[in-house]
Amino acid sequence: MSPEAHSAPRSLAEALRARDDSSLAALLRSRPDLVTPVPTDLTQLATRAGTRASVLRALERLDRFALQTAEALAVAPDPASYDTLLGLMAGDAGDPAVAGALPRALGTLREQALVWGGDDRLRLVRTAREVLAPSPQHPSPTGLGPTVREATSGMSPGRIQEIVTTAGLPSTHDSVSAVAALTALFTHRKKLARLLGQAPEAAREVLSRLVWGPPYGQVTADPAAHLRWLLDRGLLLPTAPGTVVLPREVALHLRAGRAHRAAEPLPPAVTPAATHSARVVDATAAGQAYTALATVEELLKEWDEGGPAVLRAGGLSVRDLKRTAVALDVSEPVAAFWVELAYAAGLIASDGEADERYAATPAYDEWLEQPPAERWVRLAQAWLAATRTPGLVGGRDAKDRTLSALGPGLDRSAAPEVRHRVLSLLAGLGPGAAPDAESVLARLRWERPLRGGRRDDEEDLRSRLARWTLSEAELLGLTGRGALSSHGRALLGAPPAADPGPSTAGAPGAGSSTAGGGHGADAAPADATGTGAPGRPVSGGPGDKLPVHRHRVPDRLAPPSGPEQAVAGAAAARLLAPLLPEPLDHVLLQADLTAVAPGPLRRPLADMLGVLADVESKGGATVYRFTPASVRRALDAGRTAADLHAFLTEHSRTPVPQPLAYLIDDVARRHGRLRVGAASAYVRCDDDALLNEILADKRAAALRLRRLAPTVLAAPADPATLLEGLRAMGYAPAAESAEGDVLIARAHAHRTPPRTAPEPVPEGPPPPDATLLAAAIRAIRAGDLAATTPRKPVGEPLADGELPRTSSAETLATVQAAVLTGDSLWIGYVNAEGAASQRVISPVRVEGGFVTAYDHTADEVRTYPLHRITGVAELAED
Amino acid sequence: MPRVNGPLIVQSDKTLLLEVDHEQADECRRVIAPFAELERAPEHIHTYRVTPLGLWNARAAGHDAEQVVDALVQYSRYPVPHALLVDIAETMDRYGRLTLSKHPAHGLVLTTTDRPVLEEVLKSKRIAPLVGARIDPDTVVVHPSERGQIKQTLLKLGWPAEDLAGYVDGEAHPIELLEDGWALRPYQKQAVENFWHGGSGVVVLPCGAGKTLVGAGSMAQAKSTTLILVTNTVSARQWKHELVKRTSLTEDEIGEYSGTRKEIRPVTIATYQVLTTKRKGVYPHLELFDSRDWGLIVYDEVHLLPAPVFKFTADLQARRRLGLTATLVREDGRESDVFSLIGPKRFDAPWKEIEAQGYIAPADCVEVRVNLTDAERLAYATAEAEEKYRFCATTATKRKVTEAIVRRFAGQQVLVIGQYIDQLDELGEHLNAPVIKGETSNAQREKLFDAFREGEISVLVVSKVANFSIDLPEATVAIQVSGTFGSRQEEAQRLGRVLRPKADGHQAHFYSVVARDTIDQDFAAHRQRFLAEQGYAYRIVDADEILAEGAA
Repeated sequence: MSPEAHSAPRSLAEALRARDDSSLAALLRSRPDLVTPVPTDLTQLATRAGTRASVLRALERLDRFALQTAEALAVAPDPASYDTLLGLMAGDAGDPAVAGALPRALGTLREQALVWGGDDRLRLVRTAREVLAPSPQHPSPTGLGPTVREATSGMSPGRIQEIVTTAGLPSTHDSVSAVAALTALFTHRKKLARLLGQAPEAAREVLSRLVWGPPYGQVTADPAAHLRWLLDRGLLLPTAPGTVVLPREVALHLRAGRAHRAAEPLPPAVTPAATHSARVVDATAAGQAYTALATVEELLKEWDEGGPAVLRAGGLSVRDLKRTAVALDVSEPVAAFWVELAYAAGLIASDGEADERYAATPAYDEWLEQPPAERWVRLAQAWLAATRTPGLVGGRDAKDRTLSALGPGLDRSAAPEVRHRVLSLLAGLGPGAAPDAESVLARLRWERPLRGGRRDDEEDLRSRLARWTLSEAELLGLTGRGALSSHGRALLGAPPAADPGPSTAGAPGAGSSTAGGGHGADAAPADATGTGAPGRPVSGGPGDKLPVHRHRVPDRLAPPSGPEQAVAGAAAARLLAPLLPEPLDHVLLQADLTAVAPGPLRRPLADMLGVLADVESKGGATVYRFTPASVRRALDAGRTAADLHAFLTEHSRTPVPQPLAYLIDDVARRHGRLRVGAASAYVRCDDDALLNEILADKRAAALRLRRLAPTVLAAPADPATLLEGLRAMGYAPAAESAEGDVLIARAHAHRTPPRTAPEPVPEGPPPPDATLLAAAIRAIRAGDLAATTPRKPVGEPLADGELPRTSSAETLATVQAAVLTGDSLWIGYVNAEGAASQRVISPVRVEGGFVTAYDHTADEVRTYPLHRITGVAELAED
Repeated sequence: MPRVNGPLIVQSDKTLLLEVDHEQADECRRVIAPFAELERAPEHIHTYRVTPLGLWNARAAGHDAEQVVDALVQYSRYPVPHALLVDIAETMDRYGRLTLSKHPAHGLVLTTTDRPVLEEVLKSKRIAPLVGARIDPDTVVVHPSERGQIKQTLLKLGWPAEDLAGYVDGEAHPIELLEDGWALRPYQKQAVENFWHGGSGVVVLPCGAGKTLVGAGSMAQAKSTTLILVTNTVSARQWKHELVKRTSLTEDEIGEYSGTRKEIRPVTIATYQVLTTKRKGVYPHLELFDSRDWGLIVYDEVHLLPAPVFKFTADLQARRRLGLTATLVREDGRESDVFSLIGPKRFDAPWKEIEAQGYIAPADCVEVRVNLTDAERLAYATAEAEEKYRFCATTATKRKVTEAIVRRFAGQQVLVIGQYIDQLDELGEHLNAPVIKGETSNAQREKLFDAFREGEISVLVVSKVANFSIDLPEATVAIQVSGTFGSRQEEAQRLGRVLRPKADGHQAHFYSVVARDTIDQDFAAHRQRFLAEQGYAYRIVDADEILAEGAA
């Protein structure tokens, strides 16, 4: 934009109008809420950009220095010049770092339409000013109080004149000029210093207590001499009985002009806590990646034949989570992580049956078929993008309900962004460098500070998310020994580590890119130092051009899009694949009935061993223990003892120990000696020949009799059917009780379950009693009153029975008047279903778009939305 | 990427698997031994466990977390999980925040380098009665008599105290080893050295590997009056005999403090039994601990340490303590009390390693499975739960099998060991062998043992009185017919009876006769676990084979 086209804008809308397309695009990109729905014109855009919700949202996304700049503007005069702002930020002494960073911060604020106007007239949008300016209810983070003018607004002119004269100024003819003179004194460094020089020691002490805020103090009705000295000179001003405030001008003087105790122009650098060799990091991460795959598989195997039930409110019960944790041999929070990970990756879901359970999805079977590296990429990408945060599991929500794994209430929309940001910060460190977690958190807090300071009792969500990210990345094998692995780096789409050193990580541009919605990572510092020198001429100063003209470099650190993700995933898989251990095809058998697999096993081998033996310890290797129960399990699965011997001989590097071989034979010897089957009825007969005869009879085929012993036949049919069938064949069977006695069947009289006699049904309704009658009459009279009261319409006269119609303004005025006078009104009302009615009401209260009134028709107090009242009419005077 | 093919695999449950046949195995074993405890030593892969106690002992012995982490990383075949390394570092960091030391004015004090830790432990209800006045924010007085108790409690709280208060030297008494024609074996020397260097602690050596000599060696180091606690009188006599033979001590310098004699001499051997005799609610003999200024206390078979002695040992923290055992497994799970009260494990040797060096006899362990007869099976099925074991363990078939085995080893010295007196009496009758049981007098016992040693009797039937410390070097075959349920250490001790190296170097045989498909078999499986984990592979044979062989 050329300076010619640039006359000082008078409003935000005008300032926006003067911005070029790329600059507007930057605004909309950083504040996407402004585009939904698309505003019709710039005026509307400006209006929307000034709404409280939108401004709050934008402020929350500022980095700490930009926010501090905005806070400083909020305590500066409106409009303020760039130099004033610089003075507030850097103080009287000046701070080159602040001076260097300020143009960037101001640029961010301008870009986001939080500040407009040229460098000579910087204006913070009104809503932002209201939000950030100090008030007794919402003290500003700057710790500054109100200005002299604000603090003296309620003071009597006489008192003001007293203060002015005591402060050593000539008295003036009106309060406005007196306040102006006082302000001038307080903003004049030398004069004020002289005045304060005369202050008693105790008074100076009081001031030093208030200077960094909170600026309010308590005084008694009869203040001590040193307080009185301050009060008399306006160095403390009363705000309410018993409360005094240090005026902003005085505080700024005492602070040497600084709005903030510590301006933080530069993002805190992420410092490495330790540096490992890249190879160790990659190997450790790959080992953990393998463990991640093994754990997810184990989890799914555990749930293979129907997982735990879904709670009615959704999610996994605490007991099921505990059980899963025990099965996976991890702590419960870690178990929650794996369960959530499998869920996020689409590997488990609820089966949707009547008694809902969790189960593997078909996607799991596909996933299993993939090569290990790709399986890992799938998990890691699901984790990166997930908004579900397993770290919350076990905590309580706002309604004090326990948050369960897989249950509702675990979504935190900030999670993916924080994860990405944390890992990007890691990527910014040199290869193999593990960050100090606190420095990562400090950096995140700088990039997205909590407005109103940090509460110490509970860590904010973003910090917790960041901590979880660090620990989960380690569990997942994205990081090894705390440092980002090369496959993790590839997955993020970050360039391979070139050893940029800590300076890159600490550069301000990189930090603000997420917080500010993304402007160039590299351009910012250069720009800032190039143009931000203090003391430049005001017109055409550095701030004007910053956001508007900068050429945008693509933001490398934004979460990658779909195709980019696929490329990144493939790259990560390529890097990871050679690091994963090669599955083995053998185990070592030992005489203490254990088998040790000195590494991961090929899947068929692992599956078979998992059946034949119990896993005793996991990790790089797996220790299996053979027990009679585990061997029986293998036999139950249809293996024979010979199979098992052959299997062990084939896969053991060492001879099969005799006790193990004996164990298998011993279990096999007993296996299946007892047989169990199901039958519903039997036929017993001491005469084998008779049973032979029955079995041979073709008519018996339908009964599907089976001979269990020479004298016993079993049938799947129930005893009654069997009796019928045998009788039909011409036999005379007798039923037998459980004790073996013959049951005598006799025809029974048929009876219903207990029943009560029917109630008599009288003709017509019962006569009403006195109370009921009285109530009915009252209702009828009330309805009558509403229908027949002569009305005095507010507007034009109404046809009888028609709803009154008045404009909403008139309605409001009439109703408000009625509240004051206590009159009754006749209103037309349309209820939520759209049914119109007429009512007589006596309004009691009007607020928030509702009328609370006594309704004569209904004989009770009701509340009506004003917008549903079609019109009002006053009742005719009696 | 080239992978370092190390001998060690680190498991997520903090066990370490060491591949024995790996070329770096020995080197690795030496490096991890200070902090990891050998848990199982079967033929191919040994299992070590990393426990907080082990890590703290390593700290006490002057190793730091970095060495431990380096050892794991250097020898591990797969990358070591970061969490585990962090956990190790954090655990080791907890040691030494608190120290017990002697204050010139206040006596025994607990000091800290980390004030919140001291605050935390002082808040504990269990610590409060053990400490006295707070001298300054970092120091608190400890009652001297509670030195052991506070150490034990702090250990349980996870803040082990470093004990710098030192030991009393005790009353000096000259003791020398008389190495004429024999010498301490290398591992015995190592054990003595480790113990002496560490101050107090436990030495674990297999049965028959010469634990008595480790005791004698330690006494020769201490050169002070010594109290030796043993399991029974026979064992006390054997200690005395051995000490007279191996050291400069004479008969007169060694006293026996037992049910029959109450001698207190510069070296006194007392039995646990007499110490724990309770009369009118008090233990009258516990004052033995205070009767002299002992410089060294030796606990033989420390795994059997009875509870009252435990309690009293807690008060003896200023004296050097040596625990000796073959099997530090207690079915009551109080191993850690042994460690915290006597001291950490100072030396441990796998049985098979000592066997390979030829100091204990190789053993052939056989489990013989006998079938119950049909009538017995029915009776067993209907027996009361508490009678079941006794019933199946004393089946008549076992007698036949035992007789067959005794016949097979005719001419060798055979011990038959059992739990139930009826069964033993019956066996003694059938085998025509004397029976030693609880009611047998000490004199009678010694006479029978002597006769057995001399070869005058070749078969001896013993009850569990002979579980421990009975030195019968010539026994080559042990037949176990029943035992104390699933006791692992009993099994190991019984095997130990036949492990003394034989004059002709031939193999020992250990037979365990077990009733098939009963709880006897389940208990046997549990009993064998310790030995199986030490690398003793049990062969399992059917009784029919033995009987058929015997008949043939």
